[in-house]
Amino acid sequence: MLYKRSVGGVIFDVFNMILMALLFIIMVYPFLYVLNYSISVSSRTVGTLLLWPHGLDFRNYTKLLSDPALLRALFVSVARSLIGPFLELFVTGMAAYALATPNLVGGKIFRTIFILTMYLSAGLIPTYVFMRMYGLINTFWIYVLPSACGVFELILIRTYMESIPYAMREAVYMDGGNDFQAYWNVLFPICLPVNAAVLLFDILGQWNAYSDTQIYNTMAKKLYTLQYVLANIMTSQTSLETLKNSSSATTSQGMKMAMTVITVVPILFVYPSMQKYFVSGIMLGSVKE
Amino acid sequence: MKRVKKIDPALQPDHPRKLSVRIRQQKWLLLMLLPALVNILLFNYLPLSGWYLAFSNYKPSKGIFGGKFVGLKYFKQIFHEMPDLAYLFENTLVMNSVSLILTLVSAMVLAILLKEIRWKPVAKVVQSVTFFPYFISWVITYSIMWSLLSTKSGALNQILVKAGILDTGLNLLGDPKYSWMLIILLDAWKSVGYNAIIFLSAISGIPLDQYESAALDGANRFQSVWYITLPNILPTASVLLVMNAGWLFNSSLDQYLMFTNATNRPKMEVLEYYIYRSGIGKLNYSYATAITILQALLGITMMLIVNQIAKKLNQAAAI
Repeated sequence: MLYKRSVGGVIFDVFNMILMALLFIIMVYPFLYVLNYSISVSSRTVGTLLLWPHGLDFRNYTKLLSDPALLRALFVSVARSLIGPFLELFVTGMAAYALATPNLVGGKIFRTIFILTMYLSAGLIPTYVFMRMYGLINTFWIYVLPSACGVFELILIRTYMESIPYAMREAVYMDGGNDFQAYWNVLFPICLPVNAAVLLFDILGQWNAYSDTQIYNTMAKKLYTLQYVLANIMTSQTSLETLKNSSSATTSQGMKMAMTVITVVPILFVYPSMQKYFVSGIMLGSVKE
Repeated sequence: MKRVKKIDPALQPDHPRKLSVRIRQQKWLLLMLLPALVNILLFNYLPLSGWYLAFSNYKPSKGIFGGKFVGLKYFKQIFHEMPDLAYLFENTLVMNSVSLILTLVSAMVLAILLKEIRWKPVAKVVQSVTFFPYFISWVITYSIMWSLLSTKSGALNQILVKAGILDTGLNLLGDPKYSWMLIILLDAWKSVGYNAIIFLSAISGIPLDQYESAALDGANRFQSVWYITLPNILPTASVLLVMNAGWLFNSSLDQYLMFTNATNRPKMEVLEYYIYRSGIGKLNYSYATAITILQALLGITMMLIVNQIAKKLNQAAAI
C-alpha cells in the first residue's frame, strides 16, 4: 500500500462505497423493476417499488410466447442476428487480410477508401432512394447487406493481424498455397479472439436495430423484428394476435414488461463475453485509434 | 560524392516494379478485397451521389437523376424557414453537447473512483453493471423508462402520488420542459460505463513509478489523483471530445423515434428526426436531402473548430 491510512482517506473510502452502491442501484433497479413487474400478479403492482415479485404469474409469458406474430418476429430477429454477423465476418475478414498485407497493390488508396466511409455518410434519404433502386425495400436483405462490410470491424481485425508474423503466410506460400488458403486455413483460426469479438459486437448491433424496419420494411409484416414489434406496442399501434382477440384494445403493462424482458434476455447471454473482449482491449484498440 | 541507392533484395522479396506483374501476383488478395469494395461502393459511395436530390425536383418515377435541376432552391427555402427551424438546431446541439460533456466528465470521475476502491470485487461488479446499459437498444430503454416514468402507470409517479407528495403524476416523457434533461441523463446512464472503461485503460497505462515518487515526496491520495491521474487521462478525454465533435449535429434515429412524441416535439425534435419526418413521412425528398447536406457541412465545421481548440489547449492531444 502506497499511502498511509488517514482519517480523510477513510472518510473518502466510505463516501466512495456509498456512491458506488447508489450507482449500482441506478443501473440495476430499472431492469429489476421490469422483471418483477412482468411476473407479478397485475392487481398487486400499483404504487410499489417491486423490489421482489408480488405474487407469481407467468401468464404474460405464456400468452406472448404462443402468439404467432411474436414468434415470427423472434424468428426474424434471430435470423438477422445470425446471418448478418457471419456474412459481415466473411466479407470483412478477407478484406482485413488483404489490407494487412504490407505491399498490397494500391494498399494506401484502398485503406483511405475504407476509412473515409466512417466520416462520409450519404444520409437517410439518399440512402433510402438507392435502397429502393436496388430493390431491397421490403426484403430481409435490407437488414444484412448494407452492413456486410463494417469498417470499424475491418480496422479491428487488421490491427490484430498486423501483430501476427508475416512468416505464417510465407509458410503457406512455400507449400504452394495461395492467399485464400493462407487466410482460411492459418490466419482465420489464429484471429479467433478478434473474430469472436467482432461477431458478438455485430450480433448485438443486429439484435438491437430498430429504425431500419421502421424506414424500409413497414409494409412487410412478415419481416417485423422483435424490437419493432415492441416499439409498436409501446407506442400502442398493436400488432399482436393476442391483443386483437383480447377484450381491451391496449396491451396490459405486464405484457409490455414481459416483452421487454424477452428482448433483453438474449443480450444477457452475449454480454459477459462482450465485456471480456472489451476489457482485454481487443475492442478498445480501435475505439482509441 | 554520389550516394549509391542500394536496396537489400531480401527486404523486398516480391516487389517487382511493373504494376501488371504485381497485380497478377496478388490476384488472390485483390479477389478477397473485392466483396468488401463492392459493398462499400454500393452502400456508401454511390448513395453519396444522391445528394443531387437536394439540387433537383425529384420525382420517384423519373429516377434519381431524372429530376429537373433547380440549383439552390431548397437551400434558399431552408434559409427562409430558419426562424421556424431554429429549434431543431438548438435541440440537437444542446442535447448532444451537454450529454457528451456530462458523459465524459462522469466517466472520468467513475474511472478514478473505481481505481480508488480498495476492495476489488466491488469495483468489478460496479464496472459490469454500469457497462451493461450501453448494449441495450433504445426501444428497450424507452420501454423501461416508460414503466418507471409514465404519468399514470409509471412507478415513480405512482409512488409520489401515493405518498401525497404530488397530486397528479409528472408527465416526464411527454412534457417538453423535461425533454432535454431526460435525454441528457439517459445518454449518461447508457454510456458512462462504456466510456469509463476507456478511461480505466488510460489509467492503467500510467507508469507506477510516477505514483511511487509522488508518495515518497509525501503526496496523499487526493494529491496523486489531482496531479498524476487527471493530467494523464485528460489527453484521452480530449481525443474523445474531438472524435465526437463531428457528430454533434447527428443523432440516433432509433433514440428519437422512440422518445419524440406530439407533445414534447418543441424541445425534443432533432435534425435527424426532422429529416425522417419530412423525407420518409411527407415525401419531401429533395428538401430533406438539403437538410442532410447542411447537417454534414455543420458537422465538418464543428470538428475543425473543436480540433483547433483542443490543439491550442493541449498540443499533444489533438489528432
